[in-house]
Amino acid sequence: MTARRGLVYGAVALAVLLIGAAIGMLITLSRIGPSAAPDAESVDVGFCHDMQVHHLQAITMAGIARDRDSDQFVRQIAFDIESAQLEQVGEMRGWLISWGQPGLPDPGAAHMGWMTTGGHGHTSGLPDAGAPGLMPGMASSAELARLRSLTGTEFDVFFLQLMLRHHQGGSAMAQDAAQHASQEYVRTLAKTMITSQGSEVRYMTALLTERGAAPLPG
Amino acid sequence: MASGTKNKGGRASRGSVAATKPKPWGTIIAVVAVLALAVGVFGYAYIKISDSKKFLVTEENKDPSTQISDVVVKQYAGAQHVTPEQRVAYDQNPPFGGPHDAVWANCTGFVYPAAVRNESMVHSLEHGAIWITYNPDQVKDANLDKLKSKVEGVPYMMLSPYPNLDKPISLQAWGHQLKLENNPDDERIDQFIKSLRQNRYLTAESAGGSCDNPTFDTANPPPYVAEKPGPDAVTMDGKGAIEDSAENGQSPPMNPTTAPVPTSGAPASGAPSAAPTGAPPASQ
Repeated sequence: MTARRGLVYGAVALAVLLIGAAIGMLITLSRIGPSAAPDAESVDVGFCHDMQVHHLQAITMAGIARDRDSDQFVRQIAFDIESAQLEQVGEMRGWLISWGQPGLPDPGAAHMGWMTTGGHGHTSGLPDAGAPGLMPGMASSAELARLRSLTGTEFDVFFLQLMLRHHQGGSAMAQDAAQHASQEYVRTLAKTMITSQGSEVRYMTALLTERGAAPLPG
Repeated sequence: MASGTKNKGGRASRGSVAATKPKPWGTIIAVVAVLALAVGVFGYAYIKISDSKKFLVTEENKDPSTQISDVVVKQYAGAQHVTPEQRVAYDQNPPFGGPHDAVWANCTGFVYPAAVRNESMVHSLEHGAIWITYNPDQVKDANLDKLKSKVEGVPYMMLSPYPNLDKPISLQAWGHQLKLENNPDDERIDQFIKSLRQNRYLTAESAGGSCDNPTFDTANPPPYVAEKPGPDAVTMDGKGAIEDSAENGQSPPMNPTTAPVPTSGAPASGAPSAAPTGAPPASQ
């Protein structure tokens, strides 16, 4: 009797132990990665991934304009955008590494699935992308090729149009992260983007008007 | 306390109870069920956690691609540059490391419609890009579209046809290659990208190298050359690369062994160094 009872108690103790360990595993599972760091499903990580991709294209476009544009106002705004966004890309990439996450989104990952509102597609009022499957505001390869082929005022106007749409398209992501990111420094960066890009949007709209052009139809 | 008294009572009437009391099947089943559940949770958690980490580049997992079957790995010295007129006698086809053109190909998620000069593409690999090549006679239509969707607009990716490629698809990263059948859904493609794109442990340049390049003409890139490079080509050990030819002036770089470190560090102009030639910067 004592032997069997001991066996039962032992088994129960083992079971309780395993349940405890399993709960521990589940908690780990719910936040894969170093403790307290944002996990793969967090707003923070999703924002840093997608905004990096979005920024890298703006850096590409701004680099083209900074290099070959003859208009000093356009060249100046292009340099501004390029240097600011390069710095922000570096910040986001550094955070991702320290959170134990990949530096860029996994291949084939859905865009903007992390957003609490309007992810996975179109939010009303946001400009489209240049091609399906791209994030809002992104230029297609054909548009980039066309930009590279233009010169003079035609180049200035098309660059401003593309960059304006790009800024506006990224604003929803920044708004979402400014409210819902778990880390204070991520929310701060998102707010910085909203503020600085907001003034750049007004400036680029003015530059377009001066050149007798209008934003791309959205 | 209660169990203590029970035990005493149990000991007193031990034999008869042990003989007549049925086995506690209910308890046994419950314990087994709890155990099975715990093991299930363990297993599930283990698989999920290890999957998400398997191809993640970390200090402990610097080259996750070693877990992918059929990946060829080779060590190459970086930062050996050639001029636009020079060619490199690469040891692999397509090449995935070695001396390369000083001007790297644009790798900002770029789909090249025609084959591009190897020397330009290899430099982009050094910057952390993944170069997907395909045999244009074999990979077409829907399969080609799938490859394009993995590249177009995706940072640090480039795609180009590669004439006479010995397999339908070949993936290149610096020092790494994976040749595949005509199946763009092969899971190893994404695993290769995840393991090696912008992998900061590949080379010094892969930690921050840019994919933008203002001096590379994407609309009219230098074309792929089918003919084998001649005897004047730069060899895989870097003989004939820009650094050597600059030091040796017009003469061909025949005697690299007579150029030890101090000589190569002090070119004729002396411009890069403020310290007098031959004086080591001991104060720094």
